[in-house]
Amino acid sequence: MPSPAPHERESEDVTPSESPGESKQPRIGVFICHCGSNIAGVVDCGKVRDEAEKLPGVVVAKENKYTCSDLGQEEIVKAIRENGVNGVVVAACSPRMHEPTFRNCLVEAGLNPYLLHMVNLREQCSWVHSQEKDAATQKAVDLVRMGVSKAAKLEPLEARQVPVEQATLVIGGGVTGIQAALDLAQMGFKVYLVESSPSIGGRMAQLDKTFPTGDCAICILAPKMVELARHPNIELLAYSEIEEVKGYIGNYEVKVRRKARYVVEDKCVGCGLCAEACPVKVDNVFDMGFGKRKAIYVPFPQAVPLKYTIDKENCLFFKTGKCKLCVKACANEAIDHKMEDELVELKIGTIIVATGFDIYVPMKKGVYKYWEYENVITALELERLLNASGPTGGHLVRPSDGKIPKRVAFIQCVGSRNKKIGNNYCSRVCCMYAIKNSQIIKEHEPETAIAVYYNDIRAFGKGFEELYHRVREDYGVEFIRGRPAKLTLDPEKQSITIRAEETLLNKITEREFDLVVLSTGLLPSDGSKNIGKLLGIQTSPDGFFMEAHPKLRPVDTAVDGIFVAGCAQGPKDIPDSVAQAKAAASSCAGIMAGKKVEIEPLTVTIDEELCVGCGLCEDMCPYGAPELYDREEGGTKARIVEALCHGCGTCAASCPQKAITARQFTDDQVFSELVSALARGSCRNGDQKGPVPDGPAEEEVS
Amino acid sequence: MGEAEKTFLSGLHEKLVEEKVIDESQLEPGFAKQIQKYGGKDVMTCLQCGNCTGVCPISLKIDYKTRSIIKFCQFGLKKYTLATRWVCATCYRCYEHCPADINPAEVMIALRHIAIREGVIPPFIKVAATNLVRYGQTVKPDQEIEKIRTELGLGEVPTKAPEYSRVLREISVLVHASKYDSLVGIEEEVKL
Repeated sequence: MPSPAPHERESEDVTPSESPGESKQPRIGVFICHCGSNIAGVVDCGKVRDEAEKLPGVVVAKENKYTCSDLGQEEIVKAIRENGVNGVVVAACSPRMHEPTFRNCLVEAGLNPYLLHMVNLREQCSWVHSQEKDAATQKAVDLVRMGVSKAAKLEPLEARQVPVEQATLVIGGGVTGIQAALDLAQMGFKVYLVESSPSIGGRMAQLDKTFPTGDCAICILAPKMVELARHPNIELLAYSEIEEVKGYIGNYEVKVRRKARYVVEDKCVGCGLCAEACPVKVDNVFDMGFGKRKAIYVPFPQAVPLKYTIDKENCLFFKTGKCKLCVKACANEAIDHKMEDELVELKIGTIIVATGFDIYVPMKKGVYKYWEYENVITALELERLLNASGPTGGHLVRPSDGKIPKRVAFIQCVGSRNKKIGNNYCSRVCCMYAIKNSQIIKEHEPETAIAVYYNDIRAFGKGFEELYHRVREDYGVEFIRGRPAKLTLDPEKQSITIRAEETLLNKITEREFDLVVLSTGLLPSDGSKNIGKLLGIQTSPDGFFMEAHPKLRPVDTAVDGIFVAGCAQGPKDIPDSVAQAKAAASSCAGIMAGKKVEIEPLTVTIDEELCVGCGLCEDMCPYGAPELYDREEGGTKARIVEALCHGCGTCAASCPQKAITARQFTDDQVFSELVSALARGSCRNGDQKGPVPDGPAEEEVS
Repeated sequence: MGEAEKTFLSGLHEKLVEEKVIDESQLEPGFAKQIQKYGGKDVMTCLQCGNCTGVCPISLKIDYKTRSIIKFCQFGLKKYTLATRWVCATCYRCYEHCPADINPAEVMIALRHIAIREGVIPPFIKVAATNLVRYGQTVKPDQEIEKIRTELGLGEVPTKAPEYSRVLREISVLVHASKYDSLVGIEEEVKL
């Protein structure tokens, strides 16, 4: 096919006029997609096409097995050219799936891409009405009729291009954030990494070894942390919080609060003399409460940045106004108790959210007695007890008496797969870390008897099943299929008896253990709620951030330019987190490498003549797009900062003067759809006399 | 107590047929639907973790596995479920502990509904139903109970009170109207 001379030729030859605002003779093309059997299996597409053909303004109506296929797309282009179509209705899937595809067809045929209207026959019709085929077909006819009447009123719009700031903000300094930052920095982009705790490293830094290979977690993480700190393209903002996020893709303005460490980062060399001098001892949070640290501390020896931080809540000086032993000890005069929080403003092009996870904390009155029995611990506590740099130097002892436990039980699915507490999801890592930890215990103390109480073992990753086999065959770890019902303490021996049904034996069992480890699940991190609010990104029902598409856009969010990676999106292991970090980094790079980005023109406009400057729109807008200003000729009016407008229409709906119009959702367009929707009622009621209207579109359109 | 134990535990003969292979012919299609109809609405949600068996006070005394009864239901092994003993006390401990938020006690009640309609009725049900119609309560009043009542300061069961016969009549009307009398076979007891 010779390349078309699009716009001009069309307007010369067929279309009488295409300029916006002028009334045009609608020439609508309707394209109905079978989507294989997704739609056609329920909806009678032939009937829908026949009905569509009869609608006023429709000049061509076609059906196709897969409209999104090359063939289907060519058919649209051809039909537009041959019939002088000036409005297109594609009745197929959700616009979130294929709207860009079909917009391109319009461009190829020489039409403005915004003259496309998509009717969702799949998600909103065939999939939800699969049991009622006739009614679904009737609904499809209705939806197409509505779509046609709207398409007749569509106006061409122009997309805008804006420059993209060449910098990425990474929120969260766990392994995901670290990897994403390193990847982007190596590609040559500026990266700001914001971490709320004093050091990067995240949860991975707390782990002992990783499954299934048994690599020491901190040994493989620490080199990355050091590399990150040294990289010239990365600015590390540890002990900092996101305060405010404004703007849009390519042009975010972010305020970061650098919390006061009370230690000047530039002067501190991490020698630790201050901590030696500090008289205050508190529970070590990094070691899950086992062991002690000082009120001036680094969380762990490999911390990056290796800068001390004063824990204000416990520091004697802040409590009593006296002490300052650390100040005396510091040779570099790095300690400054008068330090205050600092606000930093950043200009950002793209954002990666890597806020990670928190650990489920067993219930206070729960069956597993975590808060009552000393020898019931969580898996992360076990990690610290097994860790060579942990409170026991890597010797597994039980908390009650410091003795080596001879019998250890793991209880799986604590806080996961539990409808009672609302965590229906599987945390994906607990099976494997329990298996991995039982192997480590066996390596430390080969005589230990280990039992894993499980519901299902999920060993689905590369090398996972092999490890599962190894611990059963070579290490003799016992697997009991059943959820423990009751734990009882022998106060003398401090041992715990677990009662559970071994469901595969169909018998109730009672076994005694010295140490019980609860394989606690993963929760969205505490701070992620606030981050989600600041960024305007959504969460799934489980509370983790929602991806734009579960298969094809796994690290995108619904907001352009913001990506999510790692456990912030859902529980996952380290390889998956790293893979997502890399995916998010390359997505950011893709946007920034283009230097410019196209912004959808589906925003709102304000009619200044009608606007009375009441400011309601300013109050209603979730994005801060409307602003009031004083006109030179007098009077206050509202105007829209288009770059901030998401086109949600909240202001348009709330404006008492009807001064605000949402593009592609004008009153005229929406009402014509509504009238078309209601037209079916008169078709159905047989008692209505007179010709059955095919839709009010007739008078509306002409 | 000997009387009660006999009534509650011995009535139903366990007729568990030990099959070597369970084939299609032994399965009742749509059995789960039937259970749902009688109130055991979440029977298919069970993941077989066995927590319910572990917490069941009955299962520690006799061979009664809540989880395995639910599995029979899911599988459609109706005849196995009909042979289970009616020992669930509906204490709801299983419900309290179930991580899938199922109420197994509701399933047990549904199974009784089905069993009764299949004509599998433990003798003690007939006794209790007869007592209900005759005395307005499922346990027959006797001297021993009266003695305990007196000790507790509760007074006699007011069988001699004038309203008592009216109450009995109302019970009979309800039992008859709900067809409970014909279901458990106590028609001759109901006098209207």
